[in-house]
Amino acid sequence: MRFLIDLVIAVAVAVVVGVGSAWYAVGQGHLFGAVTVGDWTAWPNDGTLDADPYALARIARSGEVPLGAGEGLVFAAADDDSGAPLTSRCTYTIAGETPAARLWTLTATDSDGRLMPNLAHRQGFHSREIVRAANGDFAITASRSVQPGNWLPVGDAERFDLVFRLYDTPLATGSQLSTLSMPTIRKAHCP
Amino acid sequence: MRRTILFVIGGLLVGGIIHVAIVFLVPYYAGKDAYSSIARFGNDGQFHLLPMAEAGAETMPGMDPHFMEAVCRFDLHNGPIRVLAAMPDEFWSVAVFDKLSRNVYSLTDRAVDGSNLDLALLTSVQNAQIRQNPPDSLNTAIVLELPIDAGFLVLRALVPDDSLMPAVTAALAAARCSASL
Repeated sequence: MRFLIDLVIAVAVAVVVGVGSAWYAVGQGHLFGAVTVGDWTAWPNDGTLDADPYALARIARSGEVPLGAGEGLVFAAADDDSGAPLTSRCTYTIAGETPAARLWTLTATDSDGRLMPNLAHRQGFHSREIVRAANGDFAITASRSVQPGNWLPVGDAERFDLVFRLYDTPLATGSQLSTLSMPTIRKAHCP
Repeated sequence: MRRTILFVIGGLLVGGIIHVAIVFLVPYYAGKDAYSSIARFGNDGQFHLLPMAEAGAETMPGMDPHFMEAVCRFDLHNGPIRVLAAMPDEFWSVAVFDKLSRNVYSLTDRAVDGSNLDLALLTSVQNAQIRQNPPDSLNTAIVLELPIDAGFLVLRALVPDDSLMPAVTAALAAARCSASL
Protein backbone atom coordinates (compact mmCIF):
# COMPACT_ATOMS: atom_id res chain seq x y z
CA MET A 1 0.00 0.00 0.00
CA ARG A 2 2.78 2.43 0.91
CA PHE A 3 4.43 1.53 -2.36
CA LEU A 4 1.31 2.27 -4.36
CA ILE A 5 0.86 5.69 -2.71
CA ASP A 6 4.51 6.55 -3.40
CA LEU A 7 4.15 5.46 -6.99
CA VAL A 8 1.06 7.61 -7.45
CA ILE A 9 2.95 10.58 -5.97
CA ALA A 10 5.90 9.98 -8.31
CA VAL A 11 3.69 9.73 -11.39
CA ALA A 12 1.76 12.84 -10.38
CA VAL A 13 4.98 14.80 -9.87
CA ALA A 14 6.33 13.62 -13.24
CA VAL A 15 3.20 14.56 -15.16
CA VAL A 16 2.63 17.91 -13.45
CA VAL A 17 6.29 18.97 -13.68
CA GLY A 18 6.85 17.63 -17.20
CA VAL A 19 3.66 18.82 -18.86
CA GLY A 20 3.43 22.05 -16.85
CA SER A 21 6.98 23.18 -17.54
CA ALA A 22 6.77 22.21 -21.21
CA TRP A 23 3.48 24.07 -21.58
CA TYR A 24 4.94 27.16 -19.96
CA ALA A 25 8.22 27.06 -21.88
CA VAL A 26 6.53 26.53 -25.25
CA GLY A 27 3.95 29.23 -24.49
CA GLN A 28 6.81 31.57 -23.70
CA GLY A 29 8.94 30.31 -26.57
CA HIS A 30 11.17 33.33 -26.27
CA LEU A 31 13.64 31.82 -23.84
CA PHE A 32 16.88 32.27 -25.75
CA GLY A 33 18.50 34.52 -28.30
CA ALA A 34 16.81 37.84 -27.46
CA VAL A 35 18.60 40.97 -28.68
CA THR A 36 17.44 44.11 -26.91
CA VAL A 37 17.97 47.52 -28.49
CA GLY A 38 16.55 50.41 -26.49
CA ASP A 39 12.86 49.72 -25.96
CA TRP A 40 12.79 46.97 -28.59
CA THR A 41 13.58 43.27 -28.64
CA ALA A 42 14.31 41.03 -31.61
CA TRP A 43 14.82 37.26 -31.84
CA PRO A 44 17.00 36.99 -34.95
CA ASN A 45 17.44 33.23 -34.60
CA ASP A 46 13.70 32.49 -34.61
CA GLY A 47 12.72 30.92 -37.87
CA THR A 48 16.27 30.10 -38.92
CA LEU A 49 17.95 26.71 -39.08
CA ASP A 50 19.63 27.64 -35.77
CA ALA A 51 16.33 28.16 -33.95
CA ASP A 52 16.18 26.49 -30.54
CA PRO A 53 13.55 23.79 -29.85
CA TYR A 54 11.42 26.17 -27.77
CA ALA A 55 11.27 28.74 -30.56
CA LEU A 56 10.42 25.99 -33.07
CA ALA A 57 7.62 24.73 -30.85
CA ARG A 58 6.23 28.22 -30.26
CA ILE A 59 6.21 29.05 -33.98
CA ALA A 60 4.60 25.69 -34.81
CA ARG A 61 1.83 26.32 -32.29
CA SER A 62 1.18 29.90 -33.34
CA GLY A 63 1.28 29.14 -37.08
CA GLU A 64 3.14 32.32 -37.90
CA VAL A 65 5.61 32.58 -40.77
CA PRO A 66 8.81 34.29 -39.66
CA LEU A 67 10.70 36.74 -41.87
CA GLY A 68 13.67 35.20 -43.64
CA ALA A 69 17.10 36.56 -42.84
CA GLY A 70 17.40 38.03 -46.33
CA GLU A 71 14.00 39.71 -46.07
CA GLY A 72 14.31 41.61 -42.85
CA LEU A 73 14.16 41.68 -39.10
CA VAL A 74 11.27 42.07 -36.66
CA PHE A 75 11.47 44.04 -33.42
CA ALA A 76 8.73 44.08 -30.80
CA ALA A 77 8.07 46.31 -27.81
CA ALA A 78 5.65 45.72 -24.96
CA ASP A 79 6.96 48.49 -22.68
CA ASP A 80 7.69 52.20 -23.02
CA ASP A 81 11.10 53.76 -22.31
CA SER A 82 10.39 53.91 -18.57
CA GLY A 83 9.72 50.17 -18.54
CA ALA A 84 5.97 50.53 -17.95
CA PRO A 85 3.76 48.27 -20.08
CA LEU A 86 2.06 49.89 -23.08
CA THR A 87 -1.60 50.46 -22.34
CA SER A 88 -4.33 51.93 -24.53
CA ARG A 89 -5.30 54.24 -21.68
CA CYS A 90 -2.19 56.36 -22.38
CA THR A 91 -0.84 58.22 -25.41
CA TYR A 92 2.69 57.50 -26.65
CA THR A 93 5.08 59.23 -29.00
CA ILE A 94 7.37 57.07 -31.13
CA ALA A 95 10.21 59.15 -32.54
CA GLY A 96 13.90 59.07 -33.22
CA GLU A 97 16.29 57.42 -35.61
CA THR A 98 15.57 54.26 -37.53
CA PRO A 99 18.27 51.78 -38.58
CA ALA A 100 19.37 51.45 -42.18
CA ALA A 101 16.65 49.66 -44.13
CA ARG A 102 14.96 50.13 -47.45
CA LEU A 103 11.57 50.00 -45.86
CA TRP A 104 10.14 49.73 -42.39
CA THR A 105 6.66 49.25 -41.01
CA LEU A 106 5.26 49.94 -37.56
CA THR A 107 2.18 47.99 -36.47
CA ALA A 108 0.15 47.96 -33.28
CA THR A 109 -1.18 44.60 -32.07
CA ASP A 110 -2.79 43.34 -28.90
CA SER A 111 -0.59 41.41 -26.50
CA ASP A 112 -1.37 38.15 -28.36
CA GLY A 113 -0.04 39.61 -31.61
CA ARG A 114 -3.46 40.11 -33.21
CA LEU A 115 -4.45 43.28 -35.01
CA MET A 116 -6.87 45.51 -33.15
CA PRO A 117 -10.09 46.80 -34.71
CA ASN A 118 -10.36 50.58 -34.83
CA LEU A 119 -12.60 53.11 -36.52
CA ALA A 120 -9.81 54.59 -38.64
CA HIS A 121 -9.05 51.16 -40.20
CA ARG A 122 -5.37 51.83 -39.79
CA GLN A 123 -3.13 49.09 -38.39
CA GLY A 124 0.18 50.88 -38.76
CA PHE A 125 2.51 52.93 -40.89
CA HIS A 126 5.18 52.20 -43.42
CA SER A 127 8.18 54.43 -43.90
CA ARG A 128 7.04 55.89 -47.21
CA GLU A 129 3.62 57.12 -46.18
CA ILE A 130 4.68 58.81 -43.00
CA VAL A 131 4.43 62.58 -42.62
CA ARG A 132 7.89 63.97 -41.85
CA ALA A 133 9.24 67.31 -40.70
CA ALA A 134 11.36 69.32 -43.16
CA ASN A 135 14.56 67.79 -41.77
CA GLY A 136 13.28 64.25 -42.22
CA ASP A 137 12.42 63.59 -38.59
CA PHE A 138 9.16 61.90 -37.81
CA ALA A 139 6.93 61.30 -34.83
CA ILE A 140 4.13 58.75 -34.58
CA THR A 141 1.47 59.17 -31.93
CA ALA A 142 -0.05 55.95 -30.64
CA SER A 143 -3.35 56.66 -28.98
CA ARG A 144 -6.89 55.45 -28.65
CA SER A 145 -8.27 58.89 -29.57
CA VAL A 146 -7.78 60.88 -32.76
CA GLN A 147 -4.43 62.72 -32.96
CA PRO A 148 -2.94 65.19 -35.44
CA GLY A 149 -0.05 64.06 -37.65
CA ASN A 150 0.85 60.38 -37.80
CA TRP A 151 -1.86 58.85 -35.66
CA LEU A 152 -1.56 55.16 -34.89
CA PRO A 153 -4.87 53.98 -33.39
CA VAL A 154 -4.43 51.31 -30.73
CA GLY A 155 -7.93 49.94 -30.17
CA ASP A 156 -9.31 49.16 -26.76
CA ALA A 157 -6.98 46.43 -25.53
CA GLU A 158 -5.68 47.01 -22.03
CA ARG A 159 -2.16 46.04 -23.10
CA PHE A 160 -0.78 46.42 -26.59
CA ASP A 161 2.48 45.72 -28.40
CA LEU A 162 4.30 47.61 -31.10
CA VAL A 163 5.92 45.65 -33.92
CA PHE A 164 8.67 47.31 -35.93
CA ARG A 165 9.65 45.44 -39.10
CA LEU A 166 12.78 46.36 -41.02
CA TYR A 167 12.87 45.14 -44.61
CA ASP A 168 15.96 44.69 -46.71
CA THR A 169 18.32 45.68 -43.95
CA PRO A 170 22.00 44.74 -43.62
CA LEU A 171 21.27 43.98 -39.96
CA ALA A 172 19.33 40.84 -40.66
CA THR A 173 22.44 39.15 -42.00
CA GLY A 174 24.60 39.55 -38.94
CA SER A 175 26.43 42.78 -37.98
CA GLN A 176 26.20 44.34 -34.55
CA LEU A 177 22.62 44.69 -33.45
CA SER A 178 23.26 46.19 -30.04
CA THR A 179 24.82 49.40 -31.41
CA LEU A 180 21.68 50.25 -33.38
CA SER A 181 19.65 53.37 -32.88
CA MET A 182 15.98 52.60 -32.70
CA PRO A 183 13.04 54.97 -32.12
CA THR A 184 12.09 55.61 -28.52
CA ILE A 185 8.61 55.01 -27.15
CA ARG A 186 7.77 57.83 -24.74
CA LYS A 187 4.61 58.26 -22.75
CA ALA A 188 3.08 61.60 -23.78
CA HIS A 189 0.24 61.72 -21.31
CA CYS A 190 -2.05 59.53 -19.31
CA PRO A 191 -5.50 60.60 -18.20
CA MET B 1 9.42 9.14 4.54
CA ARG B 2 12.80 8.76 2.96
CA ARG B 3 11.33 6.39 0.39
CA THR B 4 8.66 8.94 -0.51
CA ILE B 5 11.36 11.57 -1.11
CA LEU B 6 13.15 9.13 -3.42
CA PHE B 7 9.93 8.62 -5.37
CA VAL B 8 9.44 12.38 -5.66
CA ILE B 9 13.00 12.78 -6.99
CA GLY B 10 12.32 9.98 -9.44
CA GLY B 11 9.13 11.76 -10.48
CA LEU B 12 11.08 14.97 -11.10
CA LEU B 13 13.57 13.13 -13.32
CA VAL B 14 10.80 11.52 -15.36
CA GLY B 15 9.11 14.95 -15.50
CA GLY B 16 12.27 16.33 -17.11
CA ILE B 17 12.17 13.61 -19.75
CA ILE B 18 8.49 14.35 -20.42
CA HIS B 19 9.35 18.04 -20.77
CA VAL B 20 12.05 17.38 -23.38
CA ALA B 21 9.85 14.92 -25.26
CA ILE B 22 6.91 17.33 -25.46
CA VAL B 23 9.04 20.27 -26.60
CA PHE B 24 10.63 18.22 -29.39
CA LEU B 25 7.36 16.65 -30.52
CA VAL B 26 5.21 19.81 -30.59
CA PRO B 27 6.45 21.00 -34.04
CA TYR B 28 5.47 17.66 -35.60
CA TYR B 29 2.00 17.46 -34.05
CA ALA B 30 1.01 21.11 -33.73
CA GLY B 31 -1.58 20.93 -36.53
CA LYS B 32 -1.89 24.71 -36.64
CA ASP B 33 1.64 25.29 -37.95
CA ALA B 34 2.15 27.22 -41.18
CA TYR B 35 2.88 24.18 -43.37
CA SER B 36 -0.30 22.40 -42.25
CA SER B 37 -2.50 25.49 -42.44
CA ILE B 38 -1.44 26.28 -46.01
CA ALA B 39 -2.99 22.96 -47.07
CA ARG B 40 -6.37 24.45 -46.11
CA PHE B 41 -6.09 27.06 -48.86
CA GLY B 42 -5.94 24.55 -51.69
CA ASN B 43 -3.69 22.25 -53.68
CA ASP B 44 0.03 21.95 -53.27
CA GLY B 45 2.17 23.28 -56.10
CA GLN B 46 0.28 26.52 -56.62
CA PHE B 47 0.34 29.92 -54.98
CA HIS B 48 -2.61 30.83 -52.83
CA LEU B 49 -3.29 34.51 -52.42
CA LEU B 50 -3.93 35.54 -48.82
CA PRO B 51 -6.22 38.50 -48.24
CA MET B 52 -4.50 41.44 -46.59
CA ALA B 53 -4.46 41.10 -42.81
CA GLU B 54 -7.20 43.05 -41.10
CA ALA B 55 -8.31 43.15 -37.51
CA GLY B 56 -10.35 40.04 -36.77
CA ALA B 57 -9.60 38.59 -40.23
CA GLU B 58 -6.00 37.50 -40.27
CA THR B 59 -5.52 34.52 -42.54
CA MET B 60 -2.23 33.64 -40.91
CA PRO B 61 -1.04 35.05 -37.59
CA GLY B 62 1.72 37.65 -37.50
CA MET B 63 1.27 38.93 -41.04
CA ASP B 64 2.38 42.46 -41.75
CA PRO B 65 -0.86 44.32 -42.62
CA HIS B 66 1.01 46.42 -45.19
CA PHE B 67 1.84 43.37 -47.28
CA MET B 68 -0.07 41.05 -49.52
CA GLU B 69 1.20 37.49 -49.38
CA ALA B 70 0.92 34.37 -51.48
CA VAL B 71 1.93 30.97 -50.15
CA CYS B 72 2.65 27.67 -51.86
CA ARG B 73 3.61 24.20 -50.67
CA PHE B 74 6.18 22.57 -52.91
CA ASP B 75 7.57 19.08 -53.25
CA LEU B 76 10.73 18.19 -55.14
CA HIS B 77 10.18 14.41 -55.11
CA ASN B 78 8.81 14.52 -58.65
CA GLY B 79 11.63 16.65 -59.97
CA PRO B 80 12.90 20.21 -59.72
CA ILE B 81 10.46 23.10 -59.96
CA ARG B 82 10.63 26.63 -61.24
CA VAL B 83 8.95 29.60 -59.58
CA LEU B 84 7.92 32.40 -61.90
CA ALA B 85 6.31 35.74 -61.11
CA ALA B 86 6.13 39.14 -62.75
CA MET B 87 6.23 41.29 -59.67
CA PRO B 88 5.29 44.94 -59.19
CA ASP B 89 7.98 47.62 -58.97
CA GLU B 90 7.39 48.09 -55.28
CA PHE B 91 9.26 46.22 -52.59
CA TRP B 92 8.72 42.47 -52.59
CA SER B 93 10.48 39.43 -51.17
CA VAL B 94 10.35 35.68 -51.40
CA ALA B 95 11.31 33.13 -48.77
CA VAL B 96 11.65 29.34 -48.76
CA PHE B 97 10.80 27.47 -45.55
CA ASP B 98 11.07 23.85 -44.47
CA LYS B 99 8.09 22.06 -42.92
CA LEU B 100 8.99 23.37 -39.45
CA SER B 101 8.83 27.01 -40.68
CA ARG B 102 12.60 27.36 -40.64
CA ASN B 103 13.80 29.71 -43.33
CA VAL B 104 16.29 28.09 -45.70
CA TYR B 105 16.51 30.86 -48.28
CA SER B 106 15.18 34.36 -48.85
CA LEU B 107 15.75 37.30 -51.13
CA THR B 108 14.26 40.69 -51.92
CA ASP B 109 13.55 42.36 -55.23
CA ARG B 110 16.98 44.01 -55.11
CA ALA B 111 18.64 40.66 -55.71
CA VAL B 112 17.10 40.25 -59.16
CA ASP B 113 17.36 42.21 -62.39
CA GLY B 114 14.17 44.04 -63.16
CA SER B 115 11.14 42.79 -61.34
CA ASN B 116 10.77 39.26 -62.66
CA LEU B 117 11.15 36.49 -60.15
CA ASP B 118 12.64 33.35 -61.64
CA LEU B 119 13.77 30.69 -59.20
CA ALA B 120 14.79 27.10 -59.85
CA LEU B 121 14.41 24.86 -56.80
CA LEU B 122 16.40 21.63 -56.78
CA THR B 123 17.83 19.14 -54.35
CA SER B 124 21.58 18.63 -54.50
CA VAL B 125 21.15 15.33 -56.36
CA GLN B 126 18.87 16.95 -58.95
CA ASN B 127 21.31 19.81 -59.31
CA ALA B 128 24.20 17.43 -59.98
CA GLN B 129 22.12 15.54 -62.57
CA ILE B 130 20.84 18.60 -64.37
CA ARG B 131 24.31 20.11 -64.65
CA GLN B 132 25.26 17.38 -67.10
CA ASN B 133 22.75 18.64 -69.61
CA PRO B 134 21.52 22.01 -68.39
CA PRO B 135 18.29 23.38 -69.94
CA ASP B 136 18.31 26.97 -71.18
CA SER B 137 16.05 28.09 -68.36
CA LEU B 138 18.88 27.54 -65.91
CA ASN B 139 20.79 30.44 -67.44
CA THR B 140 18.16 32.96 -66.44
CA ALA B 141 16.88 31.45 -63.22
CA ILE B 142 18.37 31.89 -59.77
CA VAL B 143 19.29 28.31 -58.90
CA LEU B 144 18.61 27.26 -55.33
CA GLU B 145 20.09 23.97 -54.25
CA LEU B 146 17.96 23.22 -51.21
CA PRO B 147 18.80 21.00 -48.24
CA ILE B 148 15.11 19.97 -48.10
CA ASP B 149 12.81 18.19 -50.56
CA ALA B 150 9.52 19.68 -49.41
CA GLY B 151 8.40 22.85 -47.73
CA PHE B 152 6.65 26.08 -48.58
CA LEU B 153 7.29 29.39 -50.28
CA VAL B 154 6.06 32.79 -49.20
CA LEU B 155 5.86 35.66 -51.64
CA ARG B 156 5.33 39.04 -49.96
CA ALA B 157 4.63 42.29 -51.77
CA LEU B 158 4.26 45.73 -50.24
CA VAL B 159 0.97 47.48 -50.92
CA PRO B 160 2.02 51.11 -50.39
CA ASP B 161 -1.52 52.39 -50.72
CA ASP B 162 -4.91 51.08 -51.77
CA SER B 163 -4.60 52.35 -55.34
CA LEU B 164 -1.85 49.79 -56.01
CA MET B 165 -3.87 46.90 -54.62
CA PRO B 166 -5.18 45.69 -58.01
CA ALA B 167 -1.69 45.60 -59.55
CA VAL B 168 -0.20 43.70 -56.60
CA THR B 169 -3.15 41.32 -56.48
CA ALA B 170 -2.84 40.57 -60.19
CA ALA B 171 0.91 39.98 -59.93
CA LEU B 172 0.63 37.59 -57.00
CA ALA B 173 -2.40 35.80 -58.44
CA ALA B 174 -0.48 35.08 -61.65
CA ALA B 175 2.62 33.75 -59.87
CA ARG B 176 3.47 30.16 -60.76
CA CYS B 177 4.86 27.86 -58.14
CA SER B 178 5.61 24.63 -59.95
CA ALA B 179 6.53 25.37 -63.54
CA SER B 180 8.94 22.90 -65.12
CA LEU B 181 12.55 23.76 -65.81
